[in-house]
Amino acid sequence: MGALKEKDKEKVASIFKGIEKDVTIVMFTQEMECPRCEMTRLMLEEVSGLSDKITLEVHDFVAEADLAKKYGIDKIPATAIFGDKDYGIHFYGVPAGYEFNVLIEDIMDAGKRNPGLSEEVMAELAKVDKPVHLQVLISPT
Amino acid sequence: MDFPDFSLDTSLLQKAKEPEPKITYDLLILGGGPAAMSAAVYAARKMINLAIITRDFGGQIRETSEVENWLGFQSINAKDLADSFEEHVSGFDIPVSLGASITEVKKEGDVFKVLTADTTIYSSRTLIIATGKRHRPLNVPGENELLGRGVAYCATCDAPFFKGKKVVVAGGGNSAFTTAVDLLKAGADVTLVNSIKGWQADESLQERIKQTGKVSLFDYHQIVKIEGKDSVEGVVVKNRENDKEKKLRANGVFIEIGLSPNNEPVKNLVETNDHGEIIVDCFCRTSVEGLFGAGDVTTVPHKQIVISAGEGAKAALSAYDYLINKSII
Repeated sequence: MGALKEKDKEKVASIFKGIEKDVTIVMFTQEMECPRCEMTRLMLEEVSGLSDKITLEVHDFVAEADLAKKYGIDKIPATAIFGDKDYGIHFYGVPAGYEFNVLIEDIMDAGKRNPGLSEEVMAELAKVDKPVHLQVLISPT
Repeated sequence: MDFPDFSLDTSLLQKAKEPEPKITYDLLILGGGPAAMSAAVYAARKMINLAIITRDFGGQIRETSEVENWLGFQSINAKDLADSFEEHVSGFDIPVSLGASITEVKKEGDVFKVLTADTTIYSSRTLIIATGKRHRPLNVPGENELLGRGVAYCATCDAPFFKGKKVVVAGGGNSAFTTAVDLLKAGADVTLVNSIKGWQADESLQERIKQTGKVSLFDYHQIVKIEGKDSVEGVVVKNRENDKEKKLRANGVFIEIGLSPNNEPVKNLVETNDHGEIIVDCFCRTSVEGLFGAGDVTTVPHKQIVISAGEGAKAALSAYDYLINKSII
């Protein structure tokens, strides 16, 4: 049995027809995979297979520690969504439930190279002149 | 391996994809009932650059329980049918302004401007208005004040709340009699009050109600007031033959006196008939070039889901022909 139901695969594939530019999903796991690392990887393999505009890179958190450090990944399972650069969209844990919608939405936004924010909000954000660490904590219930 | 839930709620994604006020779309569809959704599917398959502006999806289907005349299904749950329509639409890449209340439609040159209550203005070359109808109010004291506290417009939604209660149904047509049937099934004590002389419901429905012997009938009586402090306690009816008033005890009032077209955004723009319905020809064209109408808001006879869906398809194809003929696409 796969991670996604056939009906959801069809829905996601249909939405992915709207991806405008290439998207890379960077996933960090490790050789001895934890159960949640494995289920995240299997899900991402299915998701990335639904569009030829999506490339999945799976990395070893231990063996490729320098790369993880470069991307600012400090725990696994980690899923990062890249467009033409790393926007800092990183998921830790399994993006399931509501977060699965967010994952798909982020893939679409990365494919647009545009987060869909208004000009006013973008102008305000442009005023931020030093690095800001944003972290959203969610629970599955 | 037991996977967690990776199911997709496309409506959540859709909320994130709003129409852009900066873009002049080739087509804007106003409304979210079967006519609008069918128009959206047909227009999307013609690769028209379009967007939908609607308060919600489903329209009046969401006010009924079962549908027994949608081809291919002996009977289908109305919510399931509406959900399947919505899912079909969401399978296309159509921006949707959901929850929007449309206040006005104007035509400036060749471009339609759609204004919403939050002051957003959307633009398009063609427009399909498929905003449907809504229940007509009685416009009597107590109606607004006690709405949701005994005053109701949807038997499918609210009849089960009135088990063992006294309920007055305003109206004398098929909707009123069907509501009486629903209320009887729910175990309510029902009184029908008809302000026009003579019941208008189909004979078979009238017979069905009369044979139960459980429904009090007040023909040619007008509800003049709904009374109650925190909830409905009674209604005052006036005998229109002799103007004598009578008070009926009631815990609920269901208002089923017909429907009004949701034509407000365009009523100063297009021609309507005496009932306020937008006049359309068999190509769904209105009196305004580039503006098409579909479904219950128009003069098309027989307000049915299958007819609305067909009209929506026609309107989309007519808009497509218009855009081609004008060399816009």
